[in-house]
Amino acid sequence: MEETKISMYQLYKDMLTSYLANKSEHALYHAQQFSKEMMEKDMSPEETVSLHLSVFQELAEDLPEEVVDSFDILLEVMIGYGLAYREHQSLRDRQQQLESELTVAARMQKSLLPHGEISLDSVDLGVISVPAGKMSGDYYDYALDEHGNIGVAVADVIGKGVPAAMSMSMIKYAMDTLPEQRTQPGALLENLNRVVERNIDSDMFITMMYGFYDPNNHYFHYASAGHEPGFVYDAVKDEFRNLEAKGLVLGVSPKVRYFPDQLHLDAGDFIVLLSDGVTECRVDGEFIEREQLVDMIRKYKHLTAQEIVDEIFQELEKAQEFQLRDDFTLLILRRKV
Amino acid sequence: MQVQTHVDIHSEWGIVAARQAGRKLAREIGFGSVDQARITTAISELARNIYLYANKGQIQIEEVTSSGKRGVKIIAVDEGPGIKDLRRVMEDGFTTSGGLGAGLPGVKRLMDDFNIDSELDAGTSITAIKWLR
Amino acid sequence: MNLDINVTETDKGHVAFISGEVDVYTASKLKETLNPLAEKPNSDLVVDLSDVNYIDSTGLGIFIGVLKSTEKTNSTLKLKGLNERVKRLFEITGLNEVIDIEVDEREEA
Repeated sequence: MEETKISMYQLYKDMLTSYLANKSEHALYHAQQFSKEMMEKDMSPEETVSLHLSVFQELAEDLPEEVVDSFDILLEVMIGYGLAYREHQSLRDRQQQLESELTVAARMQKSLLPHGEISLDSVDLGVISVPAGKMSGDYYDYALDEHGNIGVAVADVIGKGVPAAMSMSMIKYAMDTLPEQRTQPGALLENLNRVVERNIDSDMFITMMYGFYDPNNHYFHYASAGHEPGFVYDAVKDEFRNLEAKGLVLGVSPKVRYFPDQLHLDAGDFIVLLSDGVTECRVDGEFIEREQLVDMIRKYKHLTAQEIVDEIFQELEKAQEFQLRDDFTLLILRRKV
Repeated sequence: MQVQTHVDIHSEWGIVAARQAGRKLAREIGFGSVDQARITTAISELARNIYLYANKGQIQIEEVTSSGKRGVKIIAVDEGPGIKDLRRVMEDGFTTSGGLGAGLPGVKRLMDDFNIDSELDAGTSITAIKWLR
Repeated sequence: MNLDINVTETDKGHVAFISGEVDVYTASKLKETLNPLAEKPNSDLVVDLSDVNYIDSTGLGIFIGVLKSTEKTNSTLKLKGLNERVKRLFEITGLNEVIDIEVDEREEA
């Protein structure tokens, strides 16, 4: 520390001498570089002022008393700046700590979502889910049961970030306790609703759509808890329809009934589930219309399900200048044969 | 014989008097101008806290020695409302965001040793020491 | 984003006229205004949304919170003046089944 001080003193002295001698821009540039070094060495503004005065006193003998005294005022003022600077550093450290905590939490959250690939002869499945921040309030799931049924879900917790993420994990845990209801979309949502209603803030709620595809009779059974409607693509007619079902969002009332619906899928038909982060994308300040989304899906429909969702995400992300406003989840399930 | 000064704080005049006493002692012990300014800033902040939140209290300033080192010790005592959540007032960005100056974390940074005791409805006592290097 | 809330007293409660966007930025203001009104026992709260063109999910959450408050205090909540976009949001979420929503007179005519 003492050594640094002495070498800093010498450096500063050389710099100031050179500048006073020829007023060169070069010396000023040197000073700018020097300031970075001072900050690296944790030198405070008040120490810098004091350094300047002591060097100056050595270089210019017999400084007028007023000049020397005026530095008392400058020093006093600089103490405040020094404190603010230190506080800033400490807050920056804390921010880094919080960031790394969030990174760990985000990794944990990712492990709650399925990531194994499902490759089946019966269906082609693709999903993308990207949080607006580090953690996501969107939930999705896909799972295969012993009869070959493929269950798919997309849920959306209102809000985003950590509070939404905590509620999202509640859905995951509750789903895990209800394996036998994976082929009963209505009963599944009724059970989830009871869990959510008991454990969520009064002005929060979750929307969810759950369905499963039975490859034996080619029916898709589904129910919705106030969730953003999805789409069904009819390959024969080359037409998109809304996929919706009536039902209250989860968490409002303890006793809610959900009535499942069903539809037949022909080969090539597919189901699209999404979170409102997809439809709340703003392009040129305007929300994208559902028709625009349909046009995009149509444009990529010759690709695999995973390629379609990836392409759409990339296109929308780019259109919004890579700033997601809300968590984004898009899932496609297509009947292959 | 060690020097000890008591200054009652019930107006801004008291704050200035406490600063004066602190600077005088710091100079006598041999602190440089930067540390003198730091010690007086710490005294200011502690005295202002008393003035703003407790109305009345006292600043004591004395010389301390420990294993051959000399230093200045500031003790700020008040019988004010006390501090409910010490952890929060010691957090960066808590008091300063309200425009209240350096706050207690600032005092802690300006000095070498720092200790705070507070009891609700009874008062607060803060001790801070700066050692001469 | 701004949100204006104008509250007038009626015989048995209050009417809150809202104008602006109810979103994540303005939701807390709405909550602070509506909740105390909803917590008054045995009163009617009418929220006029004629001048609201957009509500996001956080905003919907506020109405759910207010609804729950009125249920506890034996009061009522009624919404009126919803535009097509807002009405559609209440339909998708199924909230039109649990919140009393007054049908626009213009539509009936």
